[in-house]
Amino acid sequence: MTSPPNALCFGDEFPANGAPCLVHVEAHGLTMIVLSDQDAGERRSESVPFSELTVSAGGLDHDQLVATWKGATGERTLYLKNPHVIRAFRQAAPDHLTISLERAAEQVRQVRQRHRIVWSIVGGMLLIVVLGLWFGSDLLVELAVDRIPIEWEQKLGESAYHDFLARQEIMNEGLAVAAVKEMTHRLTAAIPENPYTFEITVVKSDVVNAFALPGGYIVVFTGLMKKAESPEEVSGVLAHELNHVLQRHGLERIVKQLGFTAVVSIVLGNQQGLGGVMKQLGVELMTLKFGRAQETEADLTGLQLLYRAKINPNGMITFFQRLAKKDEGRVEWLSTHPMSSSRADRLEAEIAGMPKQPPEPFTFDWTKVRASLGAHSGGSP
Amino acid sequence: MKSEVLYPGAFPMVRVELAEGEHIKAESGAMVACSPTIDIESKMEGGFLGALSRKFLTGEKFFFQTLRASRGAGEVLLAPTVPGEIVVLELDGVNEYMVQKDGFLAGADGVTINSQMQSMSRGLLGGEGFFILKMSGKGMLLLNSFGAVHKIELKPGQEYIVDNSHLVAWSTTTTYNIEKATSGWVASFTSGEGFVCRFRGPGLVFIQSRNPGGFGAWVRQFIPVAE
Ligand SMILES: [Zn+2]
Repeated sequence: MTSPPNALCFGDEFPANGAPCLVHVEAHGLTMIVLSDQDAGERRSESVPFSELTVSAGGLDHDQLVATWKGATGERTLYLKNPHVIRAFRQAAPDHLTISLERAAEQVRQVRQRHRIVWSIVGGMLLIVVLGLWFGSDLLVELAVDRIPIEWEQKLGESAYHDFLARQEIMNEGLAVAAVKEMTHRLTAAIPENPYTFEITVVKSDVVNAFALPGGYIVVFTGLMKKAESPEEVSGVLAHELNHVLQRHGLERIVKQLGFTAVVSIVLGNQQGLGGVMKQLGVELMTLKFGRAQETEADLTGLQLLYRAKINPNGMITFFQRLAKKDEGRVEWLSTHPMSSSRADRLEAEIAGMPKQPPEPFTFDWTKVRASLGAHSGGSP
Repeated sequence: MKSEVLYPGAFPMVRVELAEGEHIKAESGAMVACSPTIDIESKMEGGFLGALSRKFLTGEKFFFQTLRASRGAGEVLLAPTVPGEIVVLELDGVNEYMVQKDGFLAGADGVTINSQMQSMSRGLLGGEGFFILKMSGKGMLLLNSFGAVHKIELKPGQEYIVDNSHLVAWSTTTTYNIEKATSGWVASFTSGEGFVCRFRGPGLVFIQSRNPGGFGAWVRQFIPVAE
């Protein structure tokens, strides 16, 4: 009797990974011989009639036949995998078991079919996504971006924001901070159904720049405020940057740039790949350049926002035209937002088409704000 | 074939004694030293396509090493790449195990290694990718872990919850479902963690006391980022 085991038996006196045993299917039921590890003659054998068995499908892939019964020494669970034994069992089993057997077999079929269906759907979707990204379909990018929850976007932007601020000198209080806060508040209050809580920080730096990170994190450099002759000019930049956030331009760029690799690594469940992608995002966010269509969109929606907030929208145009003319200092915002004549024309046409309304002034005195930053007010025309 | 784990603990090594004609399959790079009677062959298990798919889908090494005692009996010393325990399992022909891709160290010639596709949700959320290794057949199987190995014994119907990044191997008589550990999908996707497996017995589940992904992230914070 040196036949190899063909089943595993579980029960209180057996090891947790099951005792290998040899199962024979007979006319009246099952006979099970436990092949204990010590090849001593002490071999336990048990016979169970079919009437005492309950059967089901089990195991990792639901492809094993599980038979349970109450033995003399306790509960027994038998896992059968050998196709010959399973076939013999199905042929010999009486009617009351046939029903559960068929149900178990049906379960296996269903699991297999579901796997097949899911896999083909996923395969198809993956193909569509890959093809779409391959041909750079903006529609697909937008669809993908729509699925990304705001909280994820915020998490992304937040880490980049804190990384950036850690290396900067931050202004926490003063006239300039109060002024920027007031402008932001005026603008955000005018956004209908705003899902973002915007956070804004003033950074002490002569660089003429301002930018927005996904999730609603805005950074304004004092250099930009010093160059502005009116709060409307700063508001123009803010309205533009706020709309990069609201239109989710950052995410669109990310999905577009990382598309293929990101999708693949997410689908393959590669944690390190995904982690790497997230790390990389943090770096890319800071150097993110928006596309021309996105800039136009931010310009136009920015103008509308200024209008709704009752802020004179002309500041948006005058500021950048003036900055473009005088090539002094580091005007970083211009390198990412070149003030082409077509851009100005477009903005002017848009403003001309808007119904006139009297702008509401801000509560602060802009000359004092600039003076607090050390701008020499006499320099401007 | 006899094996003995030397220096048990964090930096173990295993000595395998091979009789003439016997061979053992090992993760490529696992061989530390061997007798001059042993031949080392790099073989693509499962043919070129099998190896290729394993490489791309499980991240498993393209080659296994086969160490064959073709010129007489001898011994082989094997060690894993990461610090951690080595577990010796004896497959009896009916006990089968699923092994996470980094968990395999070596197997006797009677052990069959198959890459197996997991179900969608397990593959997507489990963090081991869509393919894992299925070990069947007869003979010695050596697994390695990151950290110490802890064995969980499950009775029929008994349940236990394991963080998926700590999984090493589990019996095919168990079933499991992937569940979200925390509320909120955001945390789960961004950290790459936060998924747990709810195992249901009978069978064994081997887990490791350290999480390689977590350790990697911890190390990474000390590496200066090149601009
Ligand atoms: Zn812009």
